[in-house]
Amino acid sequence: MAHQDPIARLVSQLARLPGIGEKTANRLAFHIIKEPAAFAQELSEALLGVKERIGLCTTCCNLTETDPCWICQSEKRDSSVICVVEGTPDLMAIERTGEFMGRYHVLHGVLRPLEGVGPDEIRVRELVQRLSKPEQGVREVIVATNPNTDGETTALYIARLLRPFEVKVTRIASGIPIGGDLEYTDRVTLGRALLGRREI
Amino acid sequence: MQLDHLHIEHFRNLSRVELTPGPRFNVLTGPNGQGKTNLLEAIYTLGSVKSLRAQRNAELIQWEQERALIEGEISREAHRRQARIEIGATGKRVVLNGTLVRSIQDYFGTLSAVVFSPDDLGMLKGGPSERRRFLDRAVFNTRAGYLADVQAYESVLRQRNAVLKSPSPSAGLLEVYDEQLADYGASITQRRLEYLRDFFPIFRRAFRGIFTLEGEVEASESAQIAETLALGYGASWWSPSPVSVSGELEVPSLEALRTGLGGALRRGAREDMRRGTTCSGPHRDDLHLAFLEREVRSFASQGQLRAIVLAMKIAEIQVLTERLRFTPVLLLDDVSSELDRDRNRLLFELLKRHPGQVFITTTHRDFIQLEGEDVRSWSVRQGALEPR
Repeated sequence: MAHQDPIARLVSQLARLPGIGEKTANRLAFHIIKEPAAFAQELSEALLGVKERIGLCTTCCNLTETDPCWICQSEKRDSSVICVVEGTPDLMAIERTGEFMGRYHVLHGVLRPLEGVGPDEIRVRELVQRLSKPEQGVREVIVATNPNTDGETTALYIARLLRPFEVKVTRIASGIPIGGDLEYTDRVTLGRALLGRREI
Repeated sequence: MQLDHLHIEHFRNLSRVELTPGPRFNVLTGPNGQGKTNLLEAIYTLGSVKSLRAQRNAELIQWEQERALIEGEISREAHRRQARIEIGATGKRVVLNGTLVRSIQDYFGTLSAVVFSPDDLGMLKGGPSERRRFLDRAVFNTRAGYLADVQAYESVLRQRNAVLKSPSPSAGLLEVYDEQLADYGASITQRRLEYLRDFFPIFRRAFRGIFTLEGEVEASESAQIAETLALGYGASWWSPSPVSVSGELEVPSLEALRTGLGGALRRGAREDMRRGTTCSGPHRDDLHLAFLEREVRSFASQGQLRAIVLAMKIAEIQVLTERLRFTPVLLLDDVSSELDRDRNRLLFELLKRHPGQVFITTTHRDFIQLEGEDVRSWSVRQGALEPR
């Protein structure tokens, strides 16, 4: 490539980010130009640092700087329960609740054959390998993929794969949010909530 | 139920429209391509949030504009509501009485509209997809949850077809999709059958009425012919098929339907892989209609077919009226030009008996045999309305 205008180059790179259109990319680019050089330095180092230092945990596939990741290293966590999530942001959301003390497995996606994402494109094989080691002592796998059709497909597929193992596979409940109003809850959610009712 | 005021901005070719319709007949006259159908589509979209024709939101927005807006004041007895739909290239926002609606199901029923267009007239002669579209739209109007089922089914179907087309389809993954298709498919089929069960007696009554009005036969004879009317729901994956909905129909349980569809998908997997598409399920089902023991599609005349469709639409409106306990808004898109004089007369006889609000588009005002105080008329030219 010959000499590309540096501003155009920055704008076109920024516009490749999800949720960033041409307009926003322009605004961000001119903001960066206006800021002191130290900001651009810091930003570019942060970008490179992320690529250089972050990798996948060989146990749970979480994004991590150390291997194994801090959750897999921790001795306070319950190794008998694994919570399967679509991505690291979901893991962080569950961590923020403070309700879960087991370990995780990060899939990095859900099954979407239409977009070329089949079982080989997400980290399900790693999960099966993990369960094939009986010394891990896993008793339950909680599948916490999103409650939409693709998340549901992935959950059912995982349940099927794990059938040969002596492990309980559960699905997170979906239903009416706390503080919600029955009258204003859509019927699909209400139906699900009724199906997944529990004794009190 | 009626639309008291309509405000449109940048919807298809309609830059800006202010319309205050009357409670009965509203006639929109204009040459083709001026925006009459777009206006009906705007009303339909205001009611169902889904549009009639477009697959993508961007198609609904006027050229070189960023968003379209449809706003309506709707009254139902003493209730008055303000509905607003904003259409952007990437999605729609629905606001009801100033509050953002998060789930379409909460909005459902704000404005119920039934469309009758020339496409419907060809429904019985055309392919199965047109009859499914009629059925799906009718069921959707009466059951809010139906749309979610259909969308989920279609999304799973697309994924399953992608697996079928891949070089080495994963059997495990196919089984997962089969399970989900059977789940949603069973629910869709059950709702369609329940609808047809309620629809059929009303349809038969309308059918008899139309044959009598047509003057082709005596009243007693038309009653006999109506007795032979038979409606069936054809599903290749179910036995017996077609399911007769004319008699005492016992709608199969969800469990039975799920097992039936699941089995058919499993058995058809090899064939599906060869073809690269899913061959059985509600997306392939069809309606079968016969009287005097002959399939309507193959023997009825063009005129008779249209009269039967008319009866089906009337029945659809009546089922909806009974279910909702108020009259839906009726949208007639240039139907008169497709009907001969006798059937037009018949249509307007029926319309005069229909109590609710009606919107009618036409290319020639003479086609519309409606006069009097309860008729309001406009001309539509290049996306603009003018009272006449």
